[in-house]
Amino acid sequence: MARSQLDIAATALVAVLACGAAAGGAHGGPAMIVLGFALFAAPGYLLGQLLAGPRVSGPERVAVMTGLALAVPVLGGIVLYAAGVPLHRPAWFGLLAGTTLASDAVLFLRRRAREPDSAVGPEPAAPPRRVPFWPAAAFAVAVLLAGGGVALARIGVAAQPRTGFTQMWLSLRHDGQRLDLGVGNDQGSTTSYRLVLLRAGHVIATWNLTLADGQTWQGSVPSAGAPAVVADLYRLPDTTHPYRHVATGSRS
Amino acid sequence: MTAARETIGGPPAAAEGHGAAAGRPAEAARARSRLPVSVVALSAAAGVLVVAAAYTAGRLGRDDAAWADRVYWLGQLLILAPVAARLLSRRALTASETVTLIVVLTVTEYLVKVCYSPAAFSYADELMHWRTATDITQAGKLFTANDLLPISPYYPGLEEVTTALAAVTGLSVFTAGLIVAGTAHLLFTCVLFLIFRHISGSHRIAGIAVLLYASESLFQSFDSMFVYQTLALPFLGLTMLAVGRLAAPAATGRAGWFTVAMLSAFATVVSHHVTSFLLVLSLELITVVAVVTRDRRLAGWAAVAGLLSAAALSAWIVFVAPSTVSYLRPVTEQVLQAFRASLAGGGHHVALSSVSSGPLGNQALSAVAVLIMSVLVPIGWWQVRRRYRRQPWIVALAIGAAGWYVTVAVRLFAGNGSELAGRASTFVFLPAGFMAALAVVHLTGKSLRSAVVQVNARRRAPLVIAAVVVTALVLVVNGLVNGWPPYWERLPGPYQVAGAERSVGPGQVASARWALAVLGPGNRFATDEGDLPVLGSYGDQDTVGDDSYLYTSPRFSRADALQVQAQSIGYVLVDRRLGEMLPASGQYFPDDPNAGRYLRPLPLTGLTKFDHVPGVARVYDSGDIVIYDLQGSAYYGP
Repeated sequence: MARSQLDIAATALVAVLACGAAAGGAHGGPAMIVLGFALFAAPGYLLGQLLAGPRVSGPERVAVMTGLALAVPVLGGIVLYAAGVPLHRPAWFGLLAGTTLASDAVLFLRRRAREPDSAVGPEPAAPPRRVPFWPAAAFAVAVLLAGGGVALARIGVAAQPRTGFTQMWLSLRHDGQRLDLGVGNDQGSTTSYRLVLLRAGHVIATWNLTLADGQTWQGSVPSAGAPAVVADLYRLPDTTHPYRHVATGSRS
Repeated sequence: MTAARETIGGPPAAAEGHGAAAGRPAEAARARSRLPVSVVALSAAAGVLVVAAAYTAGRLGRDDAAWADRVYWLGQLLILAPVAARLLSRRALTASETVTLIVVLTVTEYLVKVCYSPAAFSYADELMHWRTATDITQAGKLFTANDLLPISPYYPGLEEVTTALAAVTGLSVFTAGLIVAGTAHLLFTCVLFLIFRHISGSHRIAGIAVLLYASESLFQSFDSMFVYQTLALPFLGLTMLAVGRLAAPAATGRAGWFTVAMLSAFATVVSHHVTSFLLVLSLELITVVAVVTRDRRLAGWAAVAGLLSAAALSAWIVFVAPSTVSYLRPVTEQVLQAFRASLAGGGHHVALSSVSSGPLGNQALSAVAVLIMSVLVPIGWWQVRRRYRRQPWIVALAIGAAGWYVTVAVRLFAGNGSELAGRASTFVFLPAGFMAALAVVHLTGKSLRSAVVQVNARRRAPLVIAAVVVTALVLVVNGLVNGWPPYWERLPGPYQVAGAERSVGPGQVASARWALAVLGPGNRFATDEGDLPVLGSYGDQDTVGDDSYLYTSPRFSRADALQVQAQSIGYVLVDRRLGEMLPASGQYFPDDPNAGRYLRPLPLTGLTKFDHVPGVARVYDSGDIVIYDLQGSAYYGP
């Protein structure tokens, strides 16, 4: 295969591999992330090759390719939506892979059509540029430092002191027949509670709950109309002061 | 991209070899800088690390410590000072070095923004667009309702790109959104550089223009956030770049560039309303200027691109987003009102606080920055008259730069002038920054060539450069000081009542998620300033902003009930900390009649009265946050 067609083969391969991986159920993971980014960038690269012409400087070409890579999902999404295609995962894979393969085909035909006209043959490859060691090392360290900054910021978020909390709720179901009752523990540690349910001032149910951090308990009771239902949650060992309190509307 | 070197005050690379500049600086000044670009990158990256350290100190409770604030500014100076010094130094600078400096500046400032909120979106506007993106991901449909920002779903460009990237990589909407916004922001600054370089013929002027553009107050925040404008801006830039390519004398591949221009213009229209209007206006302005300067080729291509963009925008508004008109009308009326006030001699309405709210130092810095820009722009105009009056792009920029003075007038005369002017700065600084760059290059070159400096150039020339660098830093630092986040949330930290990002915490998110899961989406919710964006985004609820009466009245009243009915409020979210702390932003509610006048927290009686109103159900309690159901209560009684 001619050197000039390598990019076409590579982008076509990316489109096929990405769609194959997605069809095989791959979702996330390093390989899918790399393939996904390549598939996302491929239409922009190919359209840039097709549209920007040969006499464009490097930064300008990169800018046009990046802009086109961003424009494909913007405009393609509108077209898909207008065609009644749901914008779920298969649609985006189809759009990006379809644009990639179609652009590959057009670019391939265009390059093949131009080859016989070329009197001097393909342009000789530019000699590889030597990257000076110290500037390259400085940039590498800069990337590490900046990445370290983001990592430090994430550590700061994780280390930020936060006040734990417990959620409690009591809500009438849409059918009006039952009340949903729930407790969620976000205290940061396993916590024990006593949940007391009262109707017209009388205790009708009591639960002793021990919930791990992040755990939720849910139950339901009959609505039974007019008398207000009140639920008090005590955080053990304190059984004197309600820690949380919810109630249906009283008519008093 | 040329490898030619340029020096400040010297000829542009495009003019080199033609002996264009008389009195060019000494050849010695053309030597390579002692501050290589790689070292600038290293310093800027260290700045990101230092700012991240300041942010971590804030999160660990040192948000009020003066040293943490100083560490933040040290980090910012490590980013800004070397970039400014290198761009403005007398030493030679190649085009690729200039591009690298711009990339370093943009990327590191974007990382600073990421470090502020690295685990989830917390800026209110980002939460609005996160909601739309999440809706597209879940429903697979465009134009789903977003009660927090109803216009957002009708300009879904950003959300489409984000959901597409999230779909093919498996990344979260948040991570994909950060990547898309960062890429778009970087693309915009690079395209801006390419356009400025194309029209000025000088990468030095282009680099300085981008540096000065970075001094606009939203560069590091709103223009790089996960908001629809962030994506629309590079599309606008690409359209302009493509039109420039189409009109170039020896242009090849015009069909390709025309396709690029149209794809970019349509993508702009689909992505953001105001940017689309500005695109059409800019193309029409360029057309007119090109006709006047007799550049027929540019006039033709700009006219075609302008007409097609206008047609696309009109069609989009008529058939897809008719609410754009009602959404933009209040802003337009405010601007017109400001003009009427200024024309009616409304000078007595000028309040110093309208120049920049915040501490006196911030206001003083803002005033100095406004003064500097106001002086630089006319000098830029003078340069245009002297050197560039036959160049339609630059003349169009000169005309556009008049917008700078419009925003100054809006700051002074409009009711919320600072916010309007701030939002406009994204667009106004495009021409104003270029004019200022022309002025800076001219003044610096003139000073370096002056007899006073030439007497002892070795000692005095660095002083001139230092003064220019300090001036540029004043502008850029002003953009940060008076931009976003505001001074009262410069560092992230513990929860603040009615703040912005610091009002977004696990408790708020949990209550919002509960509301969505149990109550369903789209309920009319009364809430406060701090909880509103979380409840509207994570909770997908229809929040009410004009509801202060519901929290401040000491007991139930018929008047409150009538207003609740008029606003169809179904639920009230009460954050009890409203009764414990003063509002960080100065207002407890989005539409707060007492904004800026609170001397003590809200009385608890007003917050807890719902417990005693007949029929009001207390449906949720997480300690700080309580949600009441007003439906079927006395608020809806006879």
